[in-house]
Order: sequence, then C-alpha cells, then structure tokens
Amino acid sequence: MKLREIAASRSGDKGDVSNICVFVYDEADYPLLVQHLTADRVRDHFGALVEGSVVRYELPRVHGLNFVLDRALGGGVSMTLRADPHGKAFQSLVLDIDLPDRAPTGAAAGEETA
Amino acid sequence: MAADARRPPALLSLGAGSAYADDRLDSVAAMAASGRVSYLGFDCLAERTMALAQVRRRQDPASGQDRRIAALVPLLRDYLAAGGKVVGNFGAANPDAARDDFSRALKEVELPGVRIGVIHGDDVRDLVHELDADLPELGTTVRALGDRVVSANAYLGAGGIVDCLREDAQIVLGGRLADPSLFVGPICHELGWDLDDWDRVGHATLVGHLLECGVHSTGGNYEDPPYRVVPDPHHLGFPIGEVSDGSVVVTKLPGTGGAVDAMTMKTQLYYEIHDPAAYLTPDVTADFTGLDVDDLGGDRVRISGARGTAWPETLKVLVGIDQGWRATGEMSYAGPGCVERARRAEEVVRARLAPYASQIDEMRVDLVGMDSILGDRLRGGYPAEVRLRLALRSTSYDVARTAAHETELLYFGPAGGGGNTSSVVPALGVTPAYVPRDLVPVRTEVGVA
Repeated sequence: MKLREIAASRSGDKGDVSNICVFVYDEADYPLLVQHLTADRVRDHFGALVEGSVVRYELPRVHGLNFVLDRALGGGVSMTLRADPHGKAFQSLVLDIDLPDRAPTGAAAGEETA
Repeated sequence: MAADARRPPALLSLGAGSAYADDRLDSVAAMAASGRVSYLGFDCLAERTMALAQVRRRQDPASGQDRRIAALVPLLRDYLAAGGKVVGNFGAANPDAARDDFSRALKEVELPGVRIGVIHGDDVRDLVHELDADLPELGTTVRALGDRVVSANAYLGAGGIVDCLREDAQIVLGGRLADPSLFVGPICHELGWDLDDWDRVGHATLVGHLLECGVHSTGGNYEDPPYRVVPDPHHLGFPIGEVSDGSVVVTKLPGTGGAVDAMTMKTQLYYEIHDPAAYLTPDVTADFTGLDVDDLGGDRVRISGARGTAWPETLKVLVGIDQGWRATGEMSYAGPGCVERARRAEEVVRARLAPYASQIDEMRVDLVGMDSILGDRLRGGYPAEVRLRLALRSTSYDVARTAAHETELLYFGPAGGGGNTSSVVPALGVTPAYVPRDLVPVRTEVGVA
C-alpha cells in the first residue's frame, strides 16, 4: 500500500532546508509509520533531490513524524533554478512511498501495535 | 477604548488578515465586520520579500512598503472606528512609508485620531558589515560579497509591538517583525503575560504560528482528493484564534469555505519547523513536542501543551544578495515523439548557448511532465505532451536576454514546438546570518495619523 492511503503530509522550506511532516489519519497506523517510514527510507526515495542529511523527529502525541532534509532545495527558494523552488511537491512525493499492507482486520492490527 | 486599569481578560480573540505580500484581502472585510476578533494580524513577508522591497526602495526612496495599504484601510474603517487593532509587518523595507500610506488612507476614509506605532531597528545592513557576519549556507562572509549585499534584516520579536500597544497604538507596523510575533505581542499585552514567562510565550508563539500562515490552517495547501477534500475551497476562511491561558481554540467564520479539523491543524503545527522541541524565534525557544489536539467539531479545534524556554541569544538575519539575472524560457511539444523532439530542442539550446558558458553561473533544462520537479520518475506509459523549461542565472543581462530568446527561436527547431513564454528577472538571493541580539536596538514611535 502507498503511504498516501493512510497519511496526510505537508512540506515547508527555510533556506536550503525542507521539512516534511506526515500524520496518519488513524492512530492505530502510527506504529506502522514509525517502523517503516525511516529517515533512510525517505532519503532513498528522494535520491538526488537531497544533497544533505535526513533527520526524523517522532511526534507520538499527534501521531506524526517530521523529516528535516538538509540541502534539499537546490540552494533555497531564492537561489534555486528548480521549477518547484519551495519543494511544495515534496509532500506528495513522500506519500508515494510503498508500505507493507496492514493486517486484514482492525483487531490484528491492534495486536501488531501492542 | 483607551487602556485603563481593567483586569486582563481571560480570553482574547485574534484573526489572521494576510499570510504574505500578495495575499488576498477579500476575507478581511468579513473578518473585520464579524465582531469576533479584537486584533487582526497581517504577515506581509516571505524570505525574499524583504530583499525585493529593499531593491524597490533603492529605485524609489518613497517605496519599499507593503503595496496593499490603500486598498486595505477602507475594509478596516468600521473595525478601526469600533476600536479594533491591527498589527502587521507592512513596513517591509520602509516602515515610515507604510505609516504615511496608513495616514493618507485614514484621512481618505475620514477616520481621524487613530494612533499608529512604528517599529524600527530590523535593518542591520551596517551591523553585518561591521561584524563581517558569517553566511553559513554560502560558506563565506558579508564583506567578501562587497556591494552585492543589498539588504540585511533581523527578525524582531514581540517587544516593540508590546511597547507600541502600551502607548495605545491602534495600528502597529514594522519591517521584518517575525511572523508569530505579530500575535505574540498582542496576546502578551492583553492577557498581561511577561515576555520572559517562557511557557506562556511558547503558547502565544504556537497561536501565532497557527494564524500567520492564513488559510494554511483552514484547508489551504491541503486537498488531495479523494483522501482529503474540504468544502468550498474557492473562499477559504481565514483562521481565528481564541486564546486562553494554556490552550487555544482555532476556528473560522461561519459561512466561509475550508475546514478546521484535527488534520488541517496537525499538518500546520510543524510547518517549517525543524526540531519540534526547539523552535527558535526572537521571542522564545518554543517546545511543541507536548501538544494535544482536540477536535471539538463544528470547525473548532483546541490545542494545548506548548512550552518554552529562554529566547536565543542571537537574532536571525536574512541577507539579500544581488546575483544578477535569472532567465527562464519554455516551449511545449505534444503528440507522438514529443519527448524525443523536446530532448532534441534541449540539444539545440545547449549548443546555441555554449559560447556564453563562462558568463552563465548555473543552468538547467527540464521537461515539465517528465522530470522538472521530482526527477526522472515516469514508470510506464508515454506523456501526451511535455514542456521544455530552460532556467539559468547570469550576471550579464544581455546573456540572460539572449538565453530567454533562444527558447523562442525553437519555433524553428524540432517540429511542432508551440506556446513559447520567457522572462528575465533580477536574481536576488537571501541567505541567513546570526547576530547578537543586544547589538540590535529596537526603537518605537507612536503618534496620531
């Protein structure tokens, strides 16, 4: 399944740094998110778009993750020649990441998270 | 409505009026007429706006301020007449000119006696030269760039705003006032919170963060059908914050489009924040790790749990740098073979521009529809159409103009190129620096319009 099926996202820019927040619609999916949506996974998925590090912050109370991508905007909004200088589309790119399907019933998913 | 010795209210309602320099003003009138808010906060600046405004001011000493003031004041007339207050970074590169625009517009709507507070001190161009401030993202210093440094503005906090409100200013404006501070000032002033009461300032900063981006809290930059859809996205309501000690309820006016629910709030909570335990502003080191989001239904969400510790000892400065000219040019290709024809056009343009290579600082060619934003990710299928996009930067205007024109000449390149557009604009970069806050004195001036 795609991350897009279980989560919403938003990306923002400060200088040459992009941050992307991801929140699951159903809190029962949060453990799945934490387990599979690692900083390395995001790094691999973004490939050459990001030249620096990817750091992940967990936000368990609101069931979200915040990824901070350094040197990710081609020099920053005011410097870059990219067609999407703010990295607005990064919020959509992250949702294209494949996750393993959930267990078939809600109860089983609950066990997995216990 | 003059300030008196009344006890601070338990609840303060503030509305967002604008999120950037070219934001829509059509919801301001409804917000102002609603009777729901006693403050309207206007964020008028983004990272590049200050530098662009400085360039405008260099060309015309009477300009450099927000350009919407004359259109805004008639919308606010009755609100101001009833005692409503307005705080904004309308000044951009020229706070005095913004004050003059307000004065003139207030006379035109025949509203005498309004007190305007002006905040100075954010323009630190001399200081960053004296300090030869480091520019960490560029790996150089201010002096090394010489006269290419066109602006340097420090983000100022809520202190100057509070000073103006204490002197009964009804309109408070400045240059690079930090976005959340536009709301932190009114909140701390009205609710009687000290500016070093860090947890409360952290809470006020949360409110400012949720309001300063306007419709970002109410369904803007949000829809992704079929997963995320909001009602009436053509007239999104601007957010209102109902602030009490320790929590805020965010909502919007009835009858406006968009939504305020747990997910529209969550997606904005950490927007453009890096470490959620240490969101640095001029006012506080805010900690948003303990937030609770409580969806009350009916477009009302309560958020609590923000905390804070002492403000950073340095202020962030955005330094504007003249980088010459930026040229872009585009041409579309459609139908069978469109990708191959566009690639051939790219070869033509690159060969034509080869003689200017030493005068081109950076250049890229992308195909919109294939790889212009996320890199080469098309999996299967073939696009019905693509659009070649050339972008480059040069310190020579002539080279930039020539490059833009080359995309027009592609009408005579590979078959079927159509719909050329091009532009050449000043390339103005901004990059951060950091200066000790005690070297940045803030001066306020309050007077009748």
